[in-house]
Formats: sequence, structure tokens, C-alpha cells
Amino acid sequence: MRRREFWMLIGPSVLVMFGLLVVPLIRTVQWSFQQVSYGTPGTFVGLSNYTQALTDPRFGRAVFFTVFLTLVVTAIMLVVGYLVAIGVNNLTRLRPYILGAMLVAYVLPGVVGAVSFSWLFDQNFGGVLNLLIERLTGQSFLWFTDTWPNRVMVVAHTVWHLLPFAVLMILAGVQGVPNELREAARIDGANSWKMHVYVIIPTMRGIIGFVCLITIMDVLRTFDSLIPLSPQADAIGNESIMFYVFDTAFRDGSQQLGLGSAVNVLSIILILICLFPFIRDLLKEAKAKA
Amino acid sequence: MRIHTHVRNGVAAMAITATLVGLTACGAGSRTNEGATEVECDYTMPEADTTVNVLAYNSSAIDPFTDTMVASCTRDNVTLLHDPIDFSGQVTKTTATLAGDTGTYDIIETYGFAVPEIASAGSIEPLDDFVTEYSEKYDLDALDEGMRSALSYDGQLYALPMQAQMYIMAYREDVFEDLGLEAPTSFEDMIDAAEVIREQGDIEYPIAMPWSATADISTNYQAAMNSEGADFISEDGEAQFTTEESRTALEGMKSLLPYMDPQVTTFDQPSVQQQMFNGSAAMAVMFSGRMNDLTLETNSALFEDFAFAAPPKVGAESPYLFSRLSVDGWAIPANTQLDKDMLFQMMASAVGEDASTAAVPAAYPAREGIVTDDSSRYAVAANNTIAETMPAPNHPASAAVTNAIRPVLVQVLLGQTDVDAGMQQMQDLADAAIDGL
Repeated sequence: MRRREFWMLIGPSVLVMFGLLVVPLIRTVQWSFQQVSYGTPGTFVGLSNYTQALTDPRFGRAVFFTVFLTLVVTAIMLVVGYLVAIGVNNLTRLRPYILGAMLVAYVLPGVVGAVSFSWLFDQNFGGVLNLLIERLTGQSFLWFTDTWPNRVMVVAHTVWHLLPFAVLMILAGVQGVPNELREAARIDGANSWKMHVYVIIPTMRGIIGFVCLITIMDVLRTFDSLIPLSPQADAIGNESIMFYVFDTAFRDGSQQLGLGSAVNVLSIILILICLFPFIRDLLKEAKAKA
Repeated sequence: MRIHTHVRNGVAAMAITATLVGLTACGAGSRTNEGATEVECDYTMPEADTTVNVLAYNSSAIDPFTDTMVASCTRDNVTLLHDPIDFSGQVTKTTATLAGDTGTYDIIETYGFAVPEIASAGSIEPLDDFVTEYSEKYDLDALDEGMRSALSYDGQLYALPMQAQMYIMAYREDVFEDLGLEAPTSFEDMIDAAEVIREQGDIEYPIAMPWSATADISTNYQAAMNSEGADFISEDGEAQFTTEESRTALEGMKSLLPYMDPQVTTFDQPSVQQQMFNGSAAMAVMFSGRMNDLTLETNSALFEDFAFAAPPKVGAESPYLFSRLSVDGWAIPANTQLDKDMLFQMMASAVGEDASTAAVPAAYPAREGIVTDDSSRYAVAANNTIAETMPAPNHPASAAVTNAIRPVLVQVLLGQTDVDAGMQQMQDLADAAIDGL
């Protein structure tokens, strides 16, 4: 390919990425060292925004909750996603319909799905699941105002929303495992458990890494679902980092754009730390294939 | 190639779902002004094609005024544009559009709570000269003096009042009559009634109020302080959170908690409406703009059983009702590039008699004489409430103070923070917010 053709093909993507990713990133870093209001040039305040964020107990609670949610959801996604994918793989005619139905949860706008999900637990709007759980356990739960019941509900919603993606990816991975490998394992006397642990899962390690990568990125950005699911998130310690940024920087006409930017920079660092092992593995794998 | 089949089917399912979601969304946020009242909108036509962008949140009380303006003032070279938006979105967009030398919007809907802050910053235009010039043409003298005062700052009018909301109490007349109860006139009466209703057995949490921890709870606290004759900030600009009025308000609110749903701090006004629709509450206090929904057969089988009254006072001897008067109006951003005379006449048309009459019963228009006792089932309650609501002019720091104290207020009401300690914390936060202005 000639150099000119190369730049003609890649140019538009580079421009879009520069305009929508690089420029906002540079501006966010710049604002994180400034006091900024809408429409006015910022004033340099050094590390003041970072100090304010890092000494705010509310930010600490938001980081804890976000990391907790990410770890729990990612673990559940991998286990349940794998089990469902194996189950779906064994289906025949029903398979496309089950997959299509599952995808509805994934393509629904986050806040719409979250509102519907919250009604399952809200006595005021029927609360079918709440009623069922009360009947089964003989206990009543304050799903929206007690910290742990609320966490359970938020985790359940996040898994419900993201699971179809994990299932689809893992299913593709399972179907990509060569039959020769399975047959060889069977001849060597591998039972079903060993087949999964020593043959199928190691073969699709790259796909599992990719599912982890996307899930971690998605859950670390949790924001709009908390509006219906955790209406007093701050008071019960179930506020996500992105919710904290919105509340600090924009809500009710707030104009702390500098502080919001500093928290965003800290979030980017946290995301990179969480993703580092997966990015490193993906790069290694790509290098090995090359 | 089995995965290709899955992908194809999956994509088809996604496409169908996305189309359905898209169609639903189109229906939910339409730009149409079908059925809007047409009024005369007699401004000087600009020579060039002109687009007037209008920012106003959607609600049954505001829509009639917005629709009238857009439908009546769009003609020839001039097009008025209004996109659907909720209240929270309006607050954020107002802040953004008023910053800097240029903005997105040319006419904005605003309210008494926000006016002092944006007026003192010079972000909206004073309207007194326009009012003097066009008073006769648009009969602006008929706009309620108290509502004009609520949208004024430092002696100047900054927004043209369209409608007001005040607290009203809705209660289950059938339940109250069966148990020989009268509409409560104080918090103590509410508790007495709630105990009788609870003993009867059908309704465990008879009292419903919007005490959402992220919004409404501070308005309720302010209403309780107003009932005692005080506000968050005094006329001389001092925070009032360590006063006896503040203590009485907090203790009054806490005394209602045992009779309210345990998750009340997550309830906004639609949730409270839902409690009344379901029959899971027997009395509710919220803004008048939410009352019309209770009278509609389509919303609840109980629609005929609801009665309306002025809200109670905190104490039997309190000087005012547990209420806030929130006045909405139209304002002109100082940074608009369009002819302000033209914009004012558009706003004046939209608060005229025809538009105001069409807004009843969903709204309580600012134009005097529009709401009579026969206008709606809650008109008498609304008129009585206005007469006994504390006039509470806002301060430029009102919004900042309210946002600052809200988390502590929630902690106090939930019992996580002692009343005295909470009052002092709120005082300190409010002092800092006022100093930071």
C-alpha cells in the first residue's frame, strides 16, 4: 500500500479519535489543575483539586463501592456466562431464540432497563421479586435504603444487563475449540470436568481475557443505572465514581469542573491499573501470533 | 459457521429491539405542539431568518405555556424551537447557556429559587422597562404582585411569571369519613389521624411525602422552617440552621417518620403519587402541579375518593402553613444575540389570558382571577394555601446552601446524626457557601 493511500484510509479515523478522545483527555488533565466554571477561562490551583478529592471520604466510599462492584460482577459474569454459554451450546433449534431474547437486556438503554429492574423490587410499583423473596425467606428487605440489600440489587442488575455479551463471546470461544483436541482428551480418559478445566478453558484464554477487559471497563463506568436503583446512593455508601463526578461537577447547577476533572484523571489511572494484566496478556498474545 | 447463524439472529433481534425502543422514545419526547392555544404574538418581524431556542422543562403545568408560545409566535421568518427536557436537565442547561458571551438559548424558563443567583450575576435581563412599555398591550398588571415579587431581585423584575406551585394536602376522603376524621391542620393532627388509620388495619404507612434524599427533602425542610416563620437564609443574609425554628422543623419532620414508608428518603413526587394511586397511603403533601393527576380516572380507581385541603402547619400555633410557593416564569438570557424586545413580546403573549385559562387545572397561573374555587377539585385548597404561605424571597446563595446542607439533613432525619450536631454542621456548611459566593 502506498503511503498516500494509507493516510487516506486511516486519516478520518485519526481525526475522529484526535477530536473525540485526545483533545478531551488533554483538556481534562489541564482542568484538573484549575478552578473552572462554564464559559470562563480556568484559574491554576495546583494540586488543590486532587487534594480535595483524595481527602473527601465520599470519594473513598465511591472508589470502594466501584471496585467492589467491578470485582463481584466480573467474577459472576465469568462463571455464570460460561455455564450459560455451555448450556446454550447444547441447545439446537431454540438456540437463536434464546440468544436473541437475552440480547434484549444488553441493547436496552441502561436507565430504561434499570428503571424496569428497580420496579421488580419496589413495593410501590408491584415489586414482584420483593414479594417472592419475602415469601421465601419470611424477611422483608429495604432494597433501596439498606446498604447490602441495595448492593445485591445493583450487582444483580449489572449482571443481568451485561451477561448476554459474556455469553455470546464465550459461546463463540467454546465453538472455536477444535474437535481434534476434545477427541484427544476423551481418548486420554478426560471426564467432563477435566475437559472444561484442562482443554476448553485454556484454549479460549484470550476470549476470557477480552470478556474481563470489557466487563471491567463497563462496570467501572457505572452511572445511569444507579439513579433508579440507588436513589440515595451517597447516604448508604453505594455511589459509583462516575456518579460522584456527575454530582460534584454538574448536578443542581454545580460548576466544579476542575474537581470533576481531577476525579476523572484519578479514575483513568484506576482503570489502567485494573486493566493492566489483561492488556499485557493481549499484547503478548498478539506478539506471539505475529 | 454456527457462530455466524447466532450473530445473524442476534443482530436481527437487536435491530428489532432498537427499532421498538427508538419508536417508543420518539413518542415520549415529541416536539409537536398539537392542541396548543393560539394567541396573538405581535412582535416586529426581523428581516433575516431567525431561530429562537426555548429552554423549558416538560410538565403538565409548564407545557401549556410553552406550547402556546411556540405555536403562536412561529411565523414567517421566525421559528421557535423547544426540545423536550426534564427539570434536572433544565437546571444543568441553564447553568451552561448563561455562562460566557454566547449561549444556546434565547428564552429560558426559570423559577424564584434560581432568580437571585443568576440575576445577581448579570446573567439574565431586567424586564422592568419592557413591562412599562407593554403593560397595557399584554395586560401585565393582572400578573399577581406576590409572584412578580418572587421573580424579582434587588427591586427589579427578572422573569415574567407564568404559574406558581404551592403545597397541597391530598387525602382519602372515604377513609377519613369512615373513621370520623377531619383533614389535619398540624403535624400533631396528622400523627393522630395516622394512628387511627393504622389501627384500622388496611394502611400501614398512612402519611406520604416526597423526601427524596437527592432533591425534595430540602424543600420540605424549608417548608417546615417557613411554617415556623424562618427561612434557610435571613433577610440580612445570615444562615438560620441553629435557630429554634430550625430545631422545631427538624423535630416535626422526624415525628412523622414512623408513619411513613421506611424508604421515604428515596421517594420523589411521582412515587408519592403512586402511593396514593395504590391506596398504600391515606394522606400526602406535595406541590399542586401533581394534584391534577390524582383526579384522573385513568390513573387510579380511587380517583373519586381523593379530597384536597391546605397543608397543615408544623405546630398548631405556627404562623404559616407547611408550604413553599414556587413561582415559574420566562427570562431572557443576557447573552442572547436576538432582539430582546421581540423575545419579551413572545414571553408576554405566552402568559396572556387565553394561555393562562388553557393551563387550568394543571397549573395555577400567575394571572389574577384565572383560578376560581370552581376551577378544579383542589382550587379552594390552592387559594387557601397561597393566602397562608410565608412570603420567602430567595437569596443568591439559596441554591448553594441547599445543595451543601442536604446530605447532613438526610443524616439527621435518618437518625445517623444527632439533631444538635446536624444543625451546627448545616450552619457551618451554609456559612461557607455564603462566604464562597
